[in-house]
Amino acid sequence: MVVQGIITGIIIGGILSLPVMGVALIYGVTGILNYAIATVGVFGAFVVWQLLPYGILPAILGGILTSFLIGYGLQQFLLNPLIKRKGNDLTLFFIITFGIATILSGLIKVLFPRPTISFEFQSHSILHIASIAVDINRVIAIAIAFGILLLMRFFEKTTKTGKSWLGTSQNLKMAKLVGVNVEFVFSLVSAIGCTLGFIGAFFWGTLYNLTLTTGWDLCFLGYIIAIVGGIGNIWGGMISALIMGIIISFTGYWLSGMWQSVLLYGIFFLVLVIAPKGILGSERSV
Amino acid sequence: MPSLLLETENLTVTYGSYAALKKVSFSVYEGEIVAIVGPNGAGKTTLLETIAGLLRPKEGVIKIQSRDVTKLGPLQRRRLGLMLIPQEQNIFFSMSVKDNLQFGAFYENKRTTSELLKRVFQAFPKLRDRITQIAGTMSGGEQRMLAIGIGLAANSRILMIDELSLGLAPKVVGSILTLLRNIRDETGTTIVLSEQSIKALDVADRVYGLEAGEVMFAEYTQHLDRDLIKSMYLGA
Repeated sequence: MVVQGIITGIIIGGILSLPVMGVALIYGVTGILNYAIATVGVFGAFVVWQLLPYGILPAILGGILTSFLIGYGLQQFLLNPLIKRKGNDLTLFFIITFGIATILSGLIKVLFPRPTISFEFQSHSILHIASIAVDINRVIAIAIAFGILLLMRFFEKTTKTGKSWLGTSQNLKMAKLVGVNVEFVFSLVSAIGCTLGFIGAFFWGTLYNLTLTTGWDLCFLGYIIAIVGGIGNIWGGMISALIMGIIISFTGYWLSGMWQSVLLYGIFFLVLVIAPKGILGSERSV
Repeated sequence: MPSLLLETENLTVTYGSYAALKKVSFSVYEGEIVAIVGPNGAGKTTLLETIAGLLRPKEGVIKIQSRDVTKLGPLQRRRLGLMLIPQEQNIFFSMSVKDNLQFGAFYENKRTTSELLKRVFQAFPKLRDRITQIAGTMSGGEQRMLAIGIGLAANSRILMIDELSLGLAPKVVGSILTLLRNIRDETGTTIVLSEQSIKALDVADRVYGLEAGEVMFAEYTQHLDRDLIKSMYLGA
């Protein structure tokens, strides 16, 4: 039973690691607390659901494209100009992106026939790990999450674009001075971050329901986990997500939803007090 | 007749109600080494950062090669051949020496980049020894060398360095200044240095004196009364 809990926890954590990576990337590079990330992702998931009749692949591509474009457009046309005028005002951007999330939520309600959706895989092969039965689809989900993590790291270290967002996250002033197009970098990471949020939301939709408010929950969890792991630190985010996933999984057995939240907030508060830069550290503390 | 490469006209920069620069006008001709000297708080950093595009002036004009760049961002100014090495936060701490230098040569292709890096290592052999080392783990002096190296790798027409001597031993400062003059002699790069110490006057052709946001004097170094300057404004 313990092993089952751990495996479930790893699955949940693996799925959560996607919005966590999105949050870590966006906050690490732009310094903005963007509260709309996961809601953009959920919007994309609703697009997938709408496009399913055309086939699973076109549907997912539609979701990826939607999240990418909304993420890009949001940063490029709304947030970048605001940064130019107002500088980096954390509270202001929190409120604005919260508002964007609200608008997107409303759009979901208006544009799509159902306010709640979930995804069900058609084939369920069972994998046996340590005498526990695991749905292979879950394993695929985690594999994808890890694969994306490695891909991102590789991209950051080898390509010019990747290095430019890594540099921007470390030293915005120098990045500007050497001629990095920081506005493009900001928009690009926003697009990628929202797409990560989408993939996470999609897989979340295979475990639980996606509703109008799921975006808030996922984003909140994303931020807590990212901060605990050390924001901007992708590995830290992944490890933190796995640990949190296991905690969620175990406490789900003997704590009601409300107490679960209390425990999560408690851990979050404790980490902020003891190690504000997160467990694995980061260049920024919130 | 050397061309006017960089100029500011009546540049005024304010932080809220505090005026950091008041109607500062200065000019730099191609191939010159110009020093801006002044005590702490004179506005040297504000001046250079405004020219580079990090700060917006309240009034005034900045021109690069007679082109008005006042409304342009740092990216466009970089493209027009301007490069600033700031006083602080001037390296990418978590990246290697090599990656740092490659950022300087951001626009160059692979071949030119390796040429430029070779040049930087010639000037600073210590950096070649530490090519894969993470910048944040180097000593203060080495980090400053790396920052200047990034500036050299930029291969820009105008290189501005804010307080290069800060935290460096006088002998090291002297050798870096000589290095900069050699680079100017060999490649024609125009150099603007802001300094608290008068060491910069060793290599500068002209010097501007800045105090409390205003230009106090502008003079050819050879015509300057050194003792007067020393006693009025600067540390040795």
